[in-house]
Amino acid sequence: MRPYFEHMDDLGHALREGEIKRARANVKAIEQVEAEISAAVEHVKDAGFPTEKINARGQLTVWQRLEYLVDPGTWCPLHTLYNPLDNPEGTTNVIDGLARISGKWAVVIGFDNKVLAGAWMPGQPENILRAQDVAKRLNVPLVWLVNCSGAKLPDQEKFYANRRGAGTPFFRHAELEQMGIPVLAGIYGTNPAGGGYQGISPTILFAHEKCNIAVGGAGIVSGMAPKGEFDVEGAEGLIEKARHFKAQPPGRVETHFGETGFFRQVFETEEGVLDALKEYMREMPAYHPRFYRVAEPVRPKFPEEDLYRLVPIDPKRVYSFEQVLARLVDNSEHIEFRPDYGPEVYTGLCKVDGLLIGFVGNRQGYLGKGYPEYADYPAMGGKLYRQGLIKLNEFVTHCGRDRVPICWIQDTSGIDVGDLAEKAELLGLGQSLIYSIQQTDVPMMLIVLRKGTAAAHYVMGGPTANRHNAFTLGAATTEIYVMHGETAAVATYSRRLIKEKDAGRPLDPIVEKMNELAKQYHDNSRPLFCAKKGLVDEVVPMPDLRRYVQAFAGAAYQNPRSICPQHHLMLPRIIKG
Amino acid sequence: MEQKLLAPLAGKILRLQVEAGGRIEEDEEVLVIEALKMETPVFAPCDGTIKEIKVKEGDDVEEDDVLAIIVTE
Repeated sequence: MRPYFEHMDDLGHALREGEIKRARANVKAIEQVEAEISAAVEHVKDAGFPTEKINARGQLTVWQRLEYLVDPGTWCPLHTLYNPLDNPEGTTNVIDGLARISGKWAVVIGFDNKVLAGAWMPGQPENILRAQDVAKRLNVPLVWLVNCSGAKLPDQEKFYANRRGAGTPFFRHAELEQMGIPVLAGIYGTNPAGGGYQGISPTILFAHEKCNIAVGGAGIVSGMAPKGEFDVEGAEGLIEKARHFKAQPPGRVETHFGETGFFRQVFETEEGVLDALKEYMREMPAYHPRFYRVAEPVRPKFPEEDLYRLVPIDPKRVYSFEQVLARLVDNSEHIEFRPDYGPEVYTGLCKVDGLLIGFVGNRQGYLGKGYPEYADYPAMGGKLYRQGLIKLNEFVTHCGRDRVPICWIQDTSGIDVGDLAEKAELLGLGQSLIYSIQQTDVPMMLIVLRKGTAAAHYVMGGPTANRHNAFTLGAATTEIYVMHGETAAVATYSRRLIKEKDAGRPLDPIVEKMNELAKQYHDNSRPLFCAKKGLVDEVVPMPDLRRYVQAFAGAAYQNPRSICPQHHLMLPRIIKG
Repeated sequence: MEQKLLAPLAGKILRLQVEAGGRIEEDEEVLVIEALKMETPVFAPCDGTIKEIKVKEGDDVEEDDVLAIIVTE
């Protein structure tokens, strides 16, 4: 199959002088949004105690642990700005991402020990479940840096119970283990109650000598016999008990290494724990990338920084999808699936680090005379029509057969609407695409490059494809909403406008409401909002997008659950004809 | 030699970016057509001078209408 992949078709071209000049304002606008995102990330990193204070206690911060643990240059953070319930700390108090450890891809997650000693917080269970989902979809180890003081008690009603509550991740650890996905844990500090289960639920436990894990900690044990109310005498008793348990917390190393043997190994230093994680990761089962590579890895011909010039931040401006793709894939090469059909979507095979990835993306701009074939109105890219939906169904199904992971790149305003669109079966074809994705068992990732709108955001590999979408990225240009704010304002208030007009009342108050709604849509669709609410798993600077696609490709091919031999691939042969 | 700049699609002329008599380089934006809520820029196909602009902002154009005439060197 070498001839199919060694030299594929050229994609894109170098930017011309005029294009560079024209894009100056666009570059500036994108950089401004990226600066805001970067400032928000720094705010998360600075949450809680300063690093010096943690270091003065003889501990490393979670950030320092991560830096020591992961291979340089491979950290791809996820959920950094995720804070759906608006915690005043600005974080759900876990830090996670994809990274290589000793050369192997893993999902890494750790409690932020600078913030309330790594307490459970509102939104945290969902954050952990998302990280676990990434490990599950990509079939890579989950590596924990446990340092969890238990629940932030005043907020417990927001996260302790419920179907996807703070206990759900422990079941999910068991599920990962059932699937053969190891969960490694380095354990630090005091981990009572929920923290104890965070410590005990992984597969292999490495302990720092001063750590403890327990069903209940000093706070619970010392407060177990209340009279029904508190008084001074009771308070004195609590002080005495609490002092004792603070000095001798339950679940210390002498118990869980010496007696129960839960801890596999104990280390005097923080680095010792991390070295053990590295050593075990080195020994994890993983294919060498050459097993799956179809060619040698090569950088794209054109710089990733070009994306600042190629992707207009103004959602009304059109651009070339092929030019964008040429900045993401090896040697800016591809082979396109059905280029003469369904022009509104690109589908094709590209290499990323020499690994085969299926790419799907929305083309932008006018699609030419006679399209869509079922209507007499013109078609504009970004929207999905009959042919495009049929092509996507076919491509996804072929990728599933050939075991080729898929990277979706969305910039979509939705699926065509109206009587003719209904007669053209677009509703049915959209749901057919959902069916095609559901029965296609390959990892997928999504970049919402600009617009993620309407049902098209679902059917084009959106995060709603829970079993398939490993993660979703946003960029400074991302906006996600059910429809554009102005469209929503019209849909909401047009009948009211008629009523007011017929009654002879002034229209100004309704117009004001329409403008308010449009603004609300704008504000609640921006990249920061999307990251905070989890509509995307991370907002990534333009030049970093390829790095995340590389991480996805590397992780997806590290230990796939099923194999299609290269010489049995059908998609390249179907493309060649 | 004269080259006609044609409308790639039907729509409304949203912005003119050049003036008659002005020099223009290949790939420079000549004007923007608004259609189907999207803005489609129309670029110069070659270096040259704008001899004549046949449309003004707000005009409706059909596909293949002549938008401008460029004199090439």
